[in-house]
Amino acid sequence: MANQTQGEQLDKVIERLLGPAAAPLSPADTARTFDVTLAPVIEIIRDLKNLPRPDFRTRLKTDVERRASMASSAKAVEAVRTTVTPYLSVRDAAAAIEFYKKAFGATEVARLMQPDGRVGHAEINIDGARIMLADEFPEIGFRSPESLGGSPVNIHLDVPDVDAVARRALAAGAKVVRPVADQFYGDRSGQLSDPFGYTWTVSTHKETLTIEEMQRRMDQMSRQERSISAPAPVKFIREGFHTITPYLIISGAAQWIDFVKQAFDAEEYFRAKRPDAEDVIMHAEVKIGDSMIELADANPQFPAMPSTLLLRVDDPDAVYNRALEAGATVMQPIADAPYGSRGGTVLDVAGNRLHISKPIGAGLDIFKGFRSVTPHLYAQRPVDLIEFLQRAFGGEETYRAEMPDGSIPHAQVRIGDSIVALAGGHGAYTPMPTTLHLYVPDTDSVYEQALRAGATSLQPPADQPYGDRSAGVTDPFGNRWFIATHIRDVQM
Amino acid sequence: MKAQAKEADERLLIEAAQKDPARFVELYEENFERVYAFVSRRVDSRADVEDITAEVFHQALANIAKFEWRGVPFAAWLYRIAANAIADRWQRASREQGNPGSDATDRSESFDVEKSERAARLFGLVNKLPEDQRRVIEMRFAEEKSIREIAQTLGRTPGAVKQLQFRGIQSLRAQFEKEPGKKLSRSHG
Repeated sequence: MANQTQGEQLDKVIERLLGPAAAPLSPADTARTFDVTLAPVIEIIRDLKNLPRPDFRTRLKTDVERRASMASSAKAVEAVRTTVTPYLSVRDAAAAIEFYKKAFGATEVARLMQPDGRVGHAEINIDGARIMLADEFPEIGFRSPESLGGSPVNIHLDVPDVDAVARRALAAGAKVVRPVADQFYGDRSGQLSDPFGYTWTVSTHKETLTIEEMQRRMDQMSRQERSISAPAPVKFIREGFHTITPYLIISGAAQWIDFVKQAFDAEEYFRAKRPDAEDVIMHAEVKIGDSMIELADANPQFPAMPSTLLLRVDDPDAVYNRALEAGATVMQPIADAPYGSRGGTVLDVAGNRLHISKPIGAGLDIFKGFRSVTPHLYAQRPVDLIEFLQRAFGGEETYRAEMPDGSIPHAQVRIGDSIVALAGGHGAYTPMPTTLHLYVPDTDSVYEQALRAGATSLQPPADQPYGDRSAGVTDPFGNRWFIATHIRDVQM
Repeated sequence: MKAQAKEADERLLIEAAQKDPARFVELYEENFERVYAFVSRRVDSRADVEDITAEVFHQALANIAKFEWRGVPFAAWLYRIAANAIADRWQRASREQGNPGSDATDRSESFDVEKSERAARLFGLVNKLPEDQRRVIEMRFAEEKSIREIAQTLGRTPGAVKQLQFRGIQSLRAQFEKEPGKKLSRSHG
């Protein structure tokens, strides 16, 4: 019974150490009084005198938990103040809060109750992001998607594991709108609708891409989709161009480009110089507003042929003055015209006649459908020109001003997506034959058609190195038409 | 390596608690024994020890955002809060009783910390004892019950209770010597 004895002996030591007058007890004392094997436990017993009560440990833990949780929600209210916070109106806010807790791991931050039992305001926190919500209050126009028949607003929720969150949300009562899948923009995401009428895009970021890369992938996808449905039609009009583009053959093309930049904020898109003469422009492209203008320096084969252009602008006075500052000269000072526009006419540095105007008043906008730049043609008898445009290019007369004597001071013909203005020349407005670039779906047939309508051939249809198939004709009124079909994109 | 991993764990815990105070409970679990041990070495009344221990954790929670990680263990911060709380209490007590301040503040703090860590480890080991031994040790030491009271509560003979007490303490001693830990015992220092 050595153990029995040891147990008794140890308890005597403990009694003495726990006693109110716990006298110091050295190991030597212990050895004298008790079994020597007890000596090493003296220190342990001294420490055990301070053993905390288990119920205190538990009680303090509960207390710390309660305080920590209060501090946590206080911090949550304070921390997630963001510039933009969604505020959801729902038919049953209390149920919605429970759903968002289950589905998205939301924590409830605050809830204010109305006397009638409705939730007047609540805030939840989903991984640091705040969402406010409340019961709907139709009496003040605060309606839920269930009352309105849906919500056009989708909430994007970024999570570390979209598949897990989607599973949890479905288990909590969400429905699949779009299943979770890898997206071209580098996320893996899916769309869910909650039981309260809101849709959520739940997403996990997988791959960081530049916007350019996303665009490339989107284009590729669209191409694939198109190639599945139907072969992509080749756009017969070059990118950035319209059916009709004025082509100016002028002297001093480079100076003219400077002029239009200064006067009309033109943008230079392309310039090809002659290899052996840097100052000679073989072909250039500038854009004024929404309209492209092509131009080239005159040469012995194509002598200078200034044109008339109508420029539709927002502030004719300012643009007119800038044109003069840039070197144009006045042909007709700016004024209100009786047919409902305000404008003036200048001769630019290359001799082109530019009519700068904008429609005014509430009357008929006779410039309806005009782009920033509209070419103007002349013919002794405008009706003949109209008829030619109809026969050769399928033009459609859209406007005609006829004087009592039968003369036509202004008419308009639409060809494709563009309009040309035309008139009989009078006074200072002598006819100015012009050159035009005309995009059509089929160069060869339009070329033949133009010849039948009275045009003469400049050059038969041929594929050009710059990606067009084109042909040239001169019409009976002296205008040159370059008929073209864009067949492939060429990097210039 | 192990110490570094422990330090990294502690750091994560602190950062989590700074971000979300709800996580402070984990720091409480980690540090309760050492704070209690530290306070109990300097304060005699069990009720005062409990009061001050609670106050230390309340203050630590309220100020967790201010704790800056500079390689100083979190425990050292808690000890400092505890030492201040104890000093406050003494000052208050001496003002009320018209006594001069206690000389107990002169005690070497590093000595106390070492002893407290040792006691805290012992308290931790008590929690791991077999249920019947643990109950006897807790009732005998923490709840200050007599062998007779414990015997009645547990429905055992006083002899059996003394046996459980003996086995418990022997087991603590064995664990204490076996378990690798920081050098806490002065005899090793």
